[in-house]
Amino acid sequence: MNARYAGPVRSAALAAAILSLGCGPAAAMIDGVIGSSFTFTAKEGSISAGDGQSIYCWGYANGNGLMQYPGPTMIVSQGSAVTVALANELPEPVSIVFPGQGPVTARGGRPGLLAREAPPGGRCEYTFTAHRPGTYIYHSGTRPELQVEMGLVGALIVRPAGFDTAKPRAYEHPGSAYEDEFLYLLTEMDPVIHEHALKGTLDRIDTTAYWPVYWFINGRNAPDTMLGAGVPWLPHQPYNCMPMGHPGDRMLFRFIGGGRDLHPLHTHGNHTLLIARDGRMLESVPGVSGPDLAVQMFTVTVAPGATYDAVFRWTGAKLGWDIYGHAPGDPMEPGEYAPDHGKPFPVVLPDAKDLAFGPQYSGSQFLGGQGLLPPGEGGFNPTAGFFYMSHSHNEKEMTNNDIFPGGMMTMVLIDRPGAMGPMMQAAEKGGN
Amino acid sequence: MNPGRTDMRMPSAAFIAGLAALAIALAALPLGAEVVVQCPPDTDGIDTDGDGDPDNDVVCVHSAAGDGFINMADGRLQYIFGFSDVTGVPPEMVMHMGMLAAEFPAPTIVVREGQRLYLTLTNVGMMMRPDLFDPHTIHWHGFPEAAPIFDGEPFASISINMGSSLTYFYNVVEPGTYMYHCHVEAVEHMQMGMLGNLYVLPIQNNLPDGTDLNGFAHHTGNRYVYNDGDGSTFYDVEYALQLSGFYPEFHDANMNVQPLPFAAIDDRYPMINGRGYPETIDPDPLPNTETGALTRKISSLVTATKGQKVLLRLSNLSTDRFYTVSVLGIPMRVVGMCAKILRGPDGKDLSYVTTSVNIGGGESYDVILDTSAVPAGTYVLYCTNLNELSNDTEDFGGMMTEIRID
Repeated sequence: MNARYAGPVRSAALAAAILSLGCGPAAAMIDGVIGSSFTFTAKEGSISAGDGQSIYCWGYANGNGLMQYPGPTMIVSQGSAVTVALANELPEPVSIVFPGQGPVTARGGRPGLLAREAPPGGRCEYTFTAHRPGTYIYHSGTRPELQVEMGLVGALIVRPAGFDTAKPRAYEHPGSAYEDEFLYLLTEMDPVIHEHALKGTLDRIDTTAYWPVYWFINGRNAPDTMLGAGVPWLPHQPYNCMPMGHPGDRMLFRFIGGGRDLHPLHTHGNHTLLIARDGRMLESVPGVSGPDLAVQMFTVTVAPGATYDAVFRWTGAKLGWDIYGHAPGDPMEPGEYAPDHGKPFPVVLPDAKDLAFGPQYSGSQFLGGQGLLPPGEGGFNPTAGFFYMSHSHNEKEMTNNDIFPGGMMTMVLIDRPGAMGPMMQAAEKGGN
Repeated sequence: MNPGRTDMRMPSAAFIAGLAALAIALAALPLGAEVVVQCPPDTDGIDTDGDGDPDNDVVCVHSAAGDGFINMADGRLQYIFGFSDVTGVPPEMVMHMGMLAAEFPAPTIVVREGQRLYLTLTNVGMMMRPDLFDPHTIHWHGFPEAAPIFDGEPFASISINMGSSLTYFYNVVEPGTYMYHCHVEAVEHMQMGMLGNLYVLPIQNNLPDGTDLNGFAHHTGNRYVYNDGDGSTFYDVEYALQLSGFYPEFHDANMNVQPLPFAAIDDRYPMINGRGYPETIDPDPLPNTETGALTRKISSLVTATKGQKVLLRLSNLSTDRFYTVSVLGIPMRVVGMCAKILRGPDGKDLSYVTTSVNIGGGESYDVILDTSAVPAGTYVLYCTNLNELSNDTEDFGGMMTEIRID
């Protein structure tokens, strides 16, 4: 049976899906703290790993808020003078370095190896001008081999001059335009180090024996990556990573290597067009030509400390069958690939009892199609969109401390034109 | 895929255990499960692959997913999950032929741009693990504009249960070097060996003799990596070299029905096309010591005649690491990456010459070696992560092969 089903929407499953996916705002814009003056407090707290494990961490809190992992995503405008005041509630000195920014002026605190440091109970302040648009990292410059592992790391996004939220661009050049943007800050953790930090046995930490068993996107392990941003049961991990869009949307993925390992980030569904690295467009004439050196990649090597801006765009063109299951006389969907309109689905799918079904399978092979599924199957795709995994292709990193699946993985949702899932509706309303 | 089948020798203990498992598995199959191959004729009257024949653009492949055995270069037996080629096997024989026949790497899939591939996957079950009821899929890694139904990623799609068949359809429009693997319980099934080479030949190969490619004269039989329009990706001979590694304790735990050590994965058998040196340079298919079947069919020996251009289709499907490979003595010209010609959006040439290529899991590179400027002789392709030049504790082996130019 390969006909397009017109089955009922299962309300229980729908409710479950809404609960699971959409409690918070899903961002067409990356969540973060917008401005030019920031106050961070380095403090302790415990995050929740994807297997339910509690991991003691150090992190940057926004103002007097909770410790968070990663630190607040700073969103600033090109040319603005940025000030970050850092207060330290941790038992050892901390600092912040801003790779790619400069010169950075630091005041207060005491001198450190890579940056001035805020001593325990003390403060210091950093000032720099955000000269260049792009995606950047910030992290502790004090014992970074320990403190970044402990959680003192975050993202910095510099908007180009003349940034227009209605027509966003990553850089000034129109070749960097996008409709939606999403952050992928990639990190990993070895919980043994965190146990020592919790017990106060820092002297027993051996970073040469480093063996990460948790891998994160924006501070969460799968499947928590797909929860809403700001869900109350993850108070120290406010950011999600659940890219959502429609066919033809240019979805800007900002990849950051935030840990110490390389990660090959693979996008299902289509290649990404890599347009910038480390805040610099891949262009032959800087500031003039636009991303004429951009390359298409189905897996992007995300190196530690490096950032990548890549545009993901899916249209379903040239599949040789109509992804909507149209009859030839049906009206076209916006942006539909016309030569495939009305082309029949090319194979007969096996009987349901010969198949295993994924939670994000709608029961139909067609975009927007709802289908009958056996009881208990599917249910996490209320708008019948197409879901595409994006994940570390060092497959081992899709586990949470020996448990598969999890880790550095999330799903990208492409909804039928006009369809707006509960998560998108939440985003439109401005949050939870 | 190589349609050749291999004979099994005298049944071993594993084989007999497998038969018992088969009996259990078949008894557990749901009513209605059956092997079905879908391979419709090409009736559209259009020559989509550019070879002048409008009626030959459909290509059908039948792959069986199951389990089996291979030996490592130091002799250690490893239990694997994997694929075998059952194209053309009568449906009623597929379960039998696919049983304990898994190969590593999986049979190579080569298709041409413009073809329509009907790839049938039959799940023949894991004979040595009758407690498992794992479904399987085929993920064509890197297929552009993929639809979930044929992507093989099981969360967003469907997977096929034991004793049944699922036919994937691909309208093949983008040439390049891809790879394929099962995506069900990806860490386990990939560490266990469900990995293979897959690449697409460009339609430019089928141009009429004498076609002028921007000053480069195309001749019948010429081959190119991409539709370059200028002959810049021309090559004479090609070799797909897939990098991977095994963590032996994982395979042993799976064989012995023990908890799987995901977090401990630390590959110790680095391989090219399923072999560690010196087996990489053995031109013949290699049997395993458990069933006797030839379950490592793909040599990594590269041979060419001086003056030829050698295309290496490099990919990495390791589950835990990056590898850097180098060819000692022959410059490596990288012309493609991730199944795309290395050119900017406006066509700028981004190809480059190097002596090393770093490849992460799920990445591919197209490298051309020009042998016209080097003396005849034997050259070495090796992993410059030098710890990978070993077969577990056996030194001098691992991720290395030879390029022989005569």
